[in-house]
Amino acid sequence: MANGNDSPVLELRNVTKRFGNLVAVNNISFSLERGKLVTFVGPSGCGKTTLLRTVSGFAELDEGQIILDGEDITNMPPNGRDTAMVFQAYALFPHMTVAHNIGFGLRVRKKSKPEIDAEVERLLALVQMDGLGDRKPHELSGGQQQRVALARALSLHPKILLLDEPLSNLDANLRVSMREEVRKLQRRLGLSVIFVTHDQEEAMSISDLLVVMDHGVVKQIGSPTEIYEHPIDEFVANFIGHINFFPGEVIDLSGDEMTFKISQTNLKVEVPPFPVSVGDRLKAVVRPESIDIVSAEKELSDRENVLEGRVEFGMYIGSIMRLTIAVGDQTVYVDEADPQHKGIFEDGQKVKLVLKKRIHMLRETSD
Amino acid sequence: MSLSLQNSFLHELASDTRHFLRRPGLAALTSVAVILILLFIVFPVGSVLLKSFTVTYPTVTVRCQSKVSNRADFKELVTGPILGAIRSIEGVEETRELTDEESSVVVVRFRRDWDDLRGLNDIKRAVQKLQGTFALSVENIKYELGQETIKSLATYGRFFSKSYYYRALKNSIVLAIVTTTIVVFVAFCFAYLGLHGPGFIKAPLRVLGLLPLIAPPFIFALSLILIGGRMGILTRLLHLPFNLYGWPGVITAQMITFLPLGYLLIENVLRSIGSHLDEAASDMGASGVDILFKVTIPLSAPGILKAALLVFIMSIADFGNPMLIGGGVSFLATDAYFLWISENNLEMAAVFCVFLVLPSLIMFVIHQYILKGREYTTIGGKPQQVEERRISPKIFYPMMAVAIPVALMIITCFGMILIGAFTKILMIDNSFTLEHFQSTNGLRSLLTSLKFAFGAALIAPIFGVTLSYILVRKRIPLKRVVEFMALLGFAVPGTVMGIGYILFFNSPPLKLTGTFIILIINEAARNLSVSLEAGVAKLHQIDIAIEEAAIDMGASSFRTFTRVVLPLISSALAAGFVYTFMVGMIAVSAVIFLITPGNNLASLYILAVAEEGFLGMACAISVMLIAVVMICLGGLKLLAHYTKTTIF
Repeated sequence: MANGNDSPVLELRNVTKRFGNLVAVNNISFSLERGKLVTFVGPSGCGKTTLLRTVSGFAELDEGQIILDGEDITNMPPNGRDTAMVFQAYALFPHMTVAHNIGFGLRVRKKSKPEIDAEVERLLALVQMDGLGDRKPHELSGGQQQRVALARALSLHPKILLLDEPLSNLDANLRVSMREEVRKLQRRLGLSVIFVTHDQEEAMSISDLLVVMDHGVVKQIGSPTEIYEHPIDEFVANFIGHINFFPGEVIDLSGDEMTFKISQTNLKVEVPPFPVSVGDRLKAVVRPESIDIVSAEKELSDRENVLEGRVEFGMYIGSIMRLTIAVGDQTVYVDEADPQHKGIFEDGQKVKLVLKKRIHMLRETSD
Repeated sequence: MSLSLQNSFLHELASDTRHFLRRPGLAALTSVAVILILLFIVFPVGSVLLKSFTVTYPTVTVRCQSKVSNRADFKELVTGPILGAIRSIEGVEETRELTDEESSVVVVRFRRDWDDLRGLNDIKRAVQKLQGTFALSVENIKYELGQETIKSLATYGRFFSKSYYYRALKNSIVLAIVTTTIVVFVAFCFAYLGLHGPGFIKAPLRVLGLLPLIAPPFIFALSLILIGGRMGILTRLLHLPFNLYGWPGVITAQMITFLPLGYLLIENVLRSIGSHLDEAASDMGASGVDILFKVTIPLSAPGILKAALLVFIMSIADFGNPMLIGGGVSFLATDAYFLWISENNLEMAAVFCVFLVLPSLIMFVIHQYILKGREYTTIGGKPQQVEERRISPKIFYPMMAVAIPVALMIITCFGMILIGAFTKILMIDNSFTLEHFQSTNGLRSLLTSLKFAFGAALIAPIFGVTLSYILVRKRIPLKRVVEFMALLGFAVPGTVMGIGYILFFNSPPLKLTGTFIILIINEAARNLSVSLEAGVAKLHQIDIAIEEAAIDMGASSFRTFTRVVLPLISSALAAGFVYTFMVGMIAVSAVIFLITPGNNLASLYILAVAEEGFLGMACAISVMLIAVVMICLGGLKLLAHYTKTTIF
């Protein structure tokens, strides 16, 4: 599939799509490397599906260009494009058997019957649906329909595979195992894939690259780690995972360290990788799982970066205990891992929170 | 196996019945409903069926009172000679003697169709010749005219032995097949272009596809006569050697008449195919033509077949179009009427009815029970802002080539009615006139039509929707049978229902023929199924949990129905009302048998004056009829607007 060169398989250049007055996709540029899985993620209505549909050709561009494997396909109709899509509701043809569904594209291309049969067999095996070729779609479970849709999309060896919220109609457990399967398949076959989802956990777990979108624009592009640990703004930080913000002011700078004052407490933290000076207002972004929590009675050897608070509400989830802590007039979320062994905090209990020295900082925006 | 099946059926029936009998309110209500259905739908249709298996013969009974006491002598002296004399009379088929102690009774059965008065005179003459021989033994002689009805398949035999009878069956079926094929084809083009065509064509096609709905069903025959009849515009102007009477006229008129039915159903099917399937096919490299033939048509096939079956039923049952523009070609529905009206041949009319019912019933059963649930319901994802796929020129132009001429034809037909209404005598005296509108009888018939349609539109929805509630939500024995009987009124052609009503309601205690109420009941019974289906559809949309919530709150069954269900299904009631009203305003086929001189309906009056050649007046009353229907619908719409309810 990959023809060996390093040029991106897909390039979007200043892509804009409007529906009447609504700008669904606003001037987006982005390129995808061969054999990678990129996820468009964002809240519903952010334009991620529309962006995907511009690639498949179902949404015509108002402005911009789409380059697929070096070829400008901007004005090519969907049936001419070397892309294949797995639809959210699978869009299996209900009047055809599984095998006919999978072989549809090959029949349209007038391949010989033995060739089609062999290819369909191969694809059925690929998605672990051997022997179910004679079933009709309505005789399959949701997960099986999903596999058929995937096999159908793969039948034409597309240069790029487009998945439009493919797992959203499956129940929770199946969703998790299917996404692993999709990821394994993508790696094994070296597929270039665009995956659209609104589920941030799904996006994190499956992708090489995340494109976080909101209101038709790209907020941030990066690997899951980058996005999670260094969100570019509050929106991204908020959208991916739970988050605590501590707004404050830089009151002292010395070498790699600075003093950051939040409400009544001074934190000693590393200087962020952007230039700061004393008096700057910043926002510390702290994930709930990176805060340590101990009971108030416990003596700490290191007294730095400690906040005192009171448990307002604890929620036992099993793998973690999610605690809502009142620190002054701020609410702080803390995830305590392995509550089974570390003990459970009672509501109303006084606690101490310990923050790390390396904290991701955002410039406070004036909105 | 069949035994256990039977057992489980009986078991279910028994348990349903026990459940049912424990609820006196439900049982009473259901019984009333079933009795009404039996009386006004099943029995009349049954009477037609029974009638078709009988033959009626004229009879003459000769009764001679005896003077002698010896019975054997009497028989030898009187009965014997009479029998001998009568046997040779022309037309006599059978003689029977019923001689007893006092009198010699001879029943003479003549051939079917035999003029009974002529037979009577022949017998009188023959007996008088004998008078001299048995004057001593006979006191007086009485003659009685009578009829004898015998169960027999003879009428069927005659149907198949005479080409002028079975030709009607053949013609009707050929007509239905041709009309159905054309309607499905044209309706598909209309629906497809209306959904996927370029913007400028969508709205006009949608309007034109539905426009024929508001017209009386034979109005197109009427305007086709104005255009291509013997005195038609085209026939005259172009000096055509032929005219539209007969097959071309009936087919064209039926095509336009039934286009809305086909259009509505097929459009609905096409709309239900999610655009994501088109997209999936397109994504797989399929062209517009590929998608049409490999996805769209196969997917809509069950729905199209359903539409075809309905059009088929309607075409066979159609009365007005063949009547007006049939030009002497025999069709079942119209010939049954003529057999009844002009020949008074009840049995043959009944046989015609049986052949009218059979195809419809077969189609209806296929439609209702075999195709049910066969449609592909396509699960849609979240509604997407989907951009119209551009229609492929390879589809667009051929479809336009079908749709545009038909669209123009519809416009022309309506235009011709208007022109005809305001012209003295088209093509002879083309001057403007309003005189066609000044028809007292016409106006009176419009008023009667309004009363009639309104009455039927009140009865049918209330009964139909109540019945739908019982059928959908309650456990009653033999549910499917009750449902089938109720739907029968729709499946059975109007001609059959009309004749059935005459047969069934012609004698006491249910002597209702000639009354106005029987017209209304007939119309309500024929359209019951629409309200029933509307109710069923609506009830399936309403979560049963809503009713359970009401019962949970302590409401009784009755209260739940009136306070919770009724408001929720009021839109079904309204839909049933509007439909029954519209159909009632243009009803022809069943009511034509039931009207009496004082109760003429506008649609029938139009038919009558058109048949007599007063085309201008027919056009004018049609225009008024359409106007009245539109005004009423507009009024209802306003009413709905002010009361903030949805009617249509």
